[in-house]
Amino acid sequence: MKIDFKLNGKPTSIDVDPAMPLLWVVRDELKLTATKFGCGMAMCGACTLHIDGEAVRSCSVPVETIAGKNIITLEGLSDSEANLHPIQQAWMEEQVPQCGYCQSGFMMAAAKLIKENPNPTDDDIINGITNICRCGTHPRIIKAIKRAAEINNQNH
Amino acid sequence: MSTEKKSFSRRKFLQRGAIVLGGSVVASYLGCSPMRRFTAQKVESMDLPASISSLKPDFWFEILADNTILLKSPKIEMGQGVWTGLAMMAAEELEVSLDKIKVEHANTGSGLIDNVNTGGSSSTSSLYEPVREVAATMREMLKAAAAKQWNVDISAVKTENGTLSSSGKKATYGEIATSTKEWDEPKTPTLKPKSAFKIIGKVVKRVDLKPKVMGTAKYTLDSELPDMLYAVLVKSPYLDATIKSVDSNEATKSVGVVKIVREGNLLAVVAKSFYAADSAAKKVVVEWNTPNKTQQTDLIKLVTVGNGKEANIQKEGSAKSILKDNKTEVFRQEYRTPMATHAQMEVNGAIAHVEANKVLIITGSQGPSQVRDVVAKAIDIKKDNIDVHTPLLGGGFGRKAAPGLAAEAAIISKLVGKPIKVYNSRQHEFQNGVYRPNTHHVLQAKMTKDGTIEAITHDQATPDMYVRNMVGEIGLKLLGSDFLSAGHGASLMYNVPNKSVSVWNTDVPIPISIWRAVGMFPNTFAIESFINELAHKAGKDAIDFRLDMLTDKDDKIIERSRKVLETLIEKSGWKTPKADGVGRGIAIGNDRKSIAAAAIEVEIKEGKIKVKKVTNVLDMGQIINPEGIKAQIEGCVMMGISATLYEELTVKDGQIEQAYFSQYPLATLADVPEIQSFLLEGDDVPYGVGEPPLAPIAPAIFGAVLNLTGKALRSLPLRLS
Ligand code: FES
Ligand code: FES
Repeated sequence: MKIDFKLNGKPTSIDVDPAMPLLWVVRDELKLTATKFGCGMAMCGACTLHIDGEAVRSCSVPVETIAGKNIITLEGLSDSEANLHPIQQAWMEEQVPQCGYCQSGFMMAAAKLIKENPNPTDDDIINGITNICRCGTHPRIIKAIKRAAEINNQNH
Repeated sequence: MSTEKKSFSRRKFLQRGAIVLGGSVVASYLGCSPMRRFTAQKVESMDLPASISSLKPDFWFEILADNTILLKSPKIEMGQGVWTGLAMMAAEELEVSLDKIKVEHANTGSGLIDNVNTGGSSSTSSLYEPVREVAATMREMLKAAAAKQWNVDISAVKTENGTLSSSGKKATYGEIATSTKEWDEPKTPTLKPKSAFKIIGKVVKRVDLKPKVMGTAKYTLDSELPDMLYAVLVKSPYLDATIKSVDSNEATKSVGVVKIVREGNLLAVVAKSFYAADSAAKKVVVEWNTPNKTQQTDLIKLVTVGNGKEANIQKEGSAKSILKDNKTEVFRQEYRTPMATHAQMEVNGAIAHVEANKVLIITGSQGPSQVRDVVAKAIDIKKDNIDVHTPLLGGGFGRKAAPGLAAEAAIISKLVGKPIKVYNSRQHEFQNGVYRPNTHHVLQAKMTKDGTIEAITHDQATPDMYVRNMVGEIGLKLLGSDFLSAGHGASLMYNVPNKSVSVWNTDVPIPISIWRAVGMFPNTFAIESFINELAHKAGKDAIDFRLDMLTDKDDKIIERSRKVLETLIEKSGWKTPKADGVGRGIAIGNDRKSIAAAAIEVEIKEGKIKVKKVTNVLDMGQIINPEGIKAQIEGCVMMGISATLYEELTVKDGQIEQAYFSQYPLATLADVPEIQSFLLEGDDVPYGVGEPPLAPIAPAIFGAVLNLTGKALRSLPLRLS
């Protein structure tokens, strides 16, 4: 089945099994590998990306459901390295990643969170993001999200 | 030990490191490095067959055309920050800024092979001298070459920020490297004193930070080869299952399938995409023989003190007879830790391309040289024909010290004649993995009337974790039991006149491996929880109780441990009044000369233990990368909370019962306590940081719960009811 959508702003068209999870379309067909596979069952959040502004676990989204929609992956979060998204700026400042594998998913979930909630409290963050990190970067993730919210508010 | 064995291992240690300048190898490095000494000492003190001592601690530097310097790391970056530590050490002696150093993993094909897995928190400490020595040698070679070109004395050449200069003349390292044809190899130069450090010990950004924030960092699953096919393995959820029959008719007809491959018990669907292979794999119907019928109760029974082979590893005074003669006064407790899995976020995977006389492997492993050996055996090819490349690892924690899927990928690639990428499902990771084994500990003590310990014993029952893997069956027999990995940390650090420690090894019908901190995790839980109980019983402050047993002024470890505890008292507010509903606990551990202690405050919220605050003091000797150390401490705190409060793997009818994250909960953002970390430099060489801070977490939480509720929860995970 041919499906048209926008990926990081670019009109994109693919012809695959409509049931194929979006994660595999993005990674294997379109070769954008920032979005990670962690469980394939919507339990870890490593595959989080944005569909029409919503943070979604792409391993559990059949590609047929995204026709006409706007997909943003971590590769498309910033316009350029010189102009990083506040989340990425804060992630650099706080040196969040260890192994880094879970981080794209966390950053995408966090980007959505601060968009919706410009001044998140610890509880907002804890309740809003249920992704898994095994390296234990959680303390820095919380700090970085608050820092990103600050950067975001200064920019506006 | 025979002298013959010693000389054999010494000879083996004299391997070459290389420096590449202007595109060719120009210098060999033959100094006697601490890594060699370290391993030599370890190996020699182990009295093992000489076959394991083939160590090649090689690494190389290369000046690239753009005046950056490539450092090919023999140690594997899995999140612990080893690349940054090595780059800082190199930049320090090379007189360049940190951003001038690019780090990559060495691949086995270039001959730079580290036969010791990355683990044991030993990477930075073992390479502290060698990396700096090679970097300094390189700097001196560049200076000598510039001096020759400019016709000045070498002493007149200065190096600063990647540039050489002398009375008005100036050239970058890259320029000198390309314009020099003949190089002189200098003697090993003296290293900078600590007081002259400009990079070591300073706050820097980790070298792999940007790619990890931009999403461009490449892991195994992100790697590709031209014309590559995907394979999905069909595995039984039962341990040790073998194939009885296979019906792959439906699967063969599935879209995109290229071939169904079977060799022995290896069954795989090969297809044009992972999705196609995965969809088809679900249609393969397999009947399995499931000979392994292990139940959880079997494991508990097998791993019990008194069962299996005993090795006494510490004996001072006459602890056993004192306990025997004073039976009624003996305080005796038992502790258990459960089986656990690593649950690293990146599943195991591998890419293999097998050609007639050439094999390329891409896999995220903590031991690339072991991967090479396993592949050589699996497809019967010479090791020298195999080149193993290692992308970044999405977490290791010991899981990637096991062989992974390289052999499977190679077998399939050989059968299909194309490059193959294969990786585990999360279910495979849970159910077809290697595990931290369950352990059992019996601790006994007799105290004097004034509440000091007169005699103490610790018996640990544990399966072998890694020794068999390292040195084989014979090695394990020679040692008597695995007190090196599983029994690591079983000894008692306190100055008690009478003490005795034994490790009891039994085999279990479960695949076992190392898990972050290895034996330190279960042993510190048992010992330090017991010490907390004794202090509680004696009505003494838990830190003072310990300080009273750290008395040997001539023992540097003891002195450093005292300092760690004294710092902890001050920094954690240990002696200040605590709020209502809060319990405080502490624990300390000596993990290969890194001394880590934690003071923890807990509350009970909705019937559950909640860790509120963790104060860490770590004395890891010389600080290399302070921010990196703090990140490792935080990681250990979170993994420690996770393992203390939630994690438990169980077996039923020969099947690991937990197959998904939902069945094996881990700590999340909701578990983050207030964390404070304080670093002490009690020595001028660096010790490990990736594991030591983990061990005190569980017993400190135990102590805090005891302090708050009076309850001693002696099995992990800690459950109030
Ligand atoms: S891979 Fe999608 S949630 Fe885990
Ligand atoms: S940084 Fe490794 S899993 Fe989160």
